[in-house]
Amino acid sequence: MTRRETLPYVFLVPTILVLMVLAFVPLGYAINISLQDKTLISPNSSYIWFENYIDLLSDRRFKNSLWISLKWELITVTATIIAALGLGVMMYELLTPRQRNFFCLVFLVPVILPRVCAAFVWKFAFHPLYGIVTYPYRLITGDTLDMLADPTMALYAVAFVDVWQWGFFFAVIFLKLLESLPPEPLEAARLDYVKTWQLHAYITLPLLKVPIISLALVKAIESLRSFDLVYIMTRGGPGITTETLDMYAFSQGFIEAGKISYASSMAVIMMVLTVVIFTFIWKKARI
Amino acid sequence: MTPARFIGKFFLGLMLFIILFPMFWTLLNAFKENVDILTRTPKLFFTPVVDNILYVLGRASVLEALVNSLIICSVSVMIGILFGLPAAYAVARYPNRWTEEVQFFVLSLRFLPPVAVTIPLMVIWLNLGLYDTRVAMIATYSLLTISITIWLAVPGFQQVPKVIEEAAQVDGYGPYAIFAKIALPIAMKTLLGAVAFSFVLIWNEFLMALMLTTSDAKTLPIVASEMSQLGLDVPWGILNAAVILLSLPPLLLLGLLSGFMNSMFTNKSR
Repeated sequence: MTRRETLPYVFLVPTILVLMVLAFVPLGYAINISLQDKTLISPNSSYIWFENYIDLLSDRRFKNSLWISLKWELITVTATIIAALGLGVMMYELLTPRQRNFFCLVFLVPVILPRVCAAFVWKFAFHPLYGIVTYPYRLITGDTLDMLADPTMALYAVAFVDVWQWGFFFAVIFLKLLESLPPEPLEAARLDYVKTWQLHAYITLPLLKVPIISLALVKAIESLRSFDLVYIMTRGGPGITTETLDMYAFSQGFIEAGKISYASSMAVIMMVLTVVIFTFIWKKARI
Repeated sequence: MTPARFIGKFFLGLMLFIILFPMFWTLLNAFKENVDILTRTPKLFFTPVVDNILYVLGRASVLEALVNSLIICSVSVMIGILFGLPAAYAVARYPNRWTEEVQFFVLSLRFLPPVAVTIPLMVIWLNLGLYDTRVAMIATYSLLTISITIWLAVPGFQQVPKVIEEAAQVDGYGPYAIFAKIALPIAMKTLLGAVAFSFVLIWNEFLMALMLTTSDAKTLPIVASEMSQLGLDVPWGILNAAVILLSLPPLLLLGLLSGFMNSMFTNKSR
């Protein structure tokens, strides 16, 4: 009896300790560094307390990157969920079980590709002179189209790659959710000659409301990892029109000035924002 | 109804095309000379060459990065298994307020922006003299592998029928023996999928490796991304070859991963 009660402690305590060390030590350090004036070039540093944070408030590039990140979140989460619901319902209605298996296999491919690879594949496809995507445009208009160098289009072009990776994956999950629903209410509705779109709009989507919200949350969390795509495809350009928060923190800390403390203060703000927002939403969505 | 179904099926087929064609094109480009890639009209037919692939495989930096990636991935995935699986079992089998908090804590680690963890880690590894070493990369990645293993393995253990574990208890098995000899083998298929996911996550990781390595511990994604900076012109053929080679390991795990998706969703909700 006593041995049974030791198991959860033996199994959990070491793991939680390791995770806490690996997570909280860097976070403590991040706050500590953000209060100094450390750079990568000089070894000396001193405490300047909240000066970095005060500077951030008047940094227009920082505000721009906050705005870009917010836009990125909205675009990618909305587009991914819409794609997932639409494709999930279509697969559910139109395909035989064997065809579904095949589609599920192929739909998993984009998400397991390294993001670096997905970025390169599409960067070359979007190439204004030699790209395969821009070829029809060149053929018809005789003009070139450089989406990644266009300030209004660049962010959407990069977001497209993100949705390409995640939308199909989520469509597979949504299909599995549809398949897991009890068949009786759906059959009853079909017997009443309910149209297919009505069936999904009024029965299946409301039934799956909670998992759909969780999916949107998971996507919002994963969308925070925009860096790989942006770094490979545009490096935040043209200008700063695709510079998300992590891209700006990286370029402040590593490329331009090596201002590691300034970058760190940005990282701390980012961390507080995301942890507070997501913890609040997650706890709320679960109740 | 029939035209609508036809359009729907056509649309789904188009989606397959949107997924597969860019990758097929990348594969073709990996076997083209630069002259055949840099044409205004894309070329479907050309004389294939293996120079790009051989060039990528022959570079010392690629081989070093391959060794780094393999060591870093496998060790951090092992650490993830070692710490993650027992914790996941405890969470799955002893549900109470504490284990729920643990599960949320593990999830909340994913809320942390990678940059926010990596910038301070860089300073820490520099201070410890471990910057740009495999040890540092393994320790960094363990945070990811442990948490993802826990998160994905909990449902796997929950699917093990409780009756079997209770029967084993009646037969005189202790709780640790039940974990090792009953729960682990039964949940193995799902657990393998979870481990495969954690491997793919680390294999693909870019941002942390970019900031935490400069030469000795560079991983493959970093070296692949650097291919775009060789010389004056972007060597697209070589770059495409690197993309293909880097994508192969995750693609090889596709079957395992899709099996994992199936077992995650079909058993649980019924």
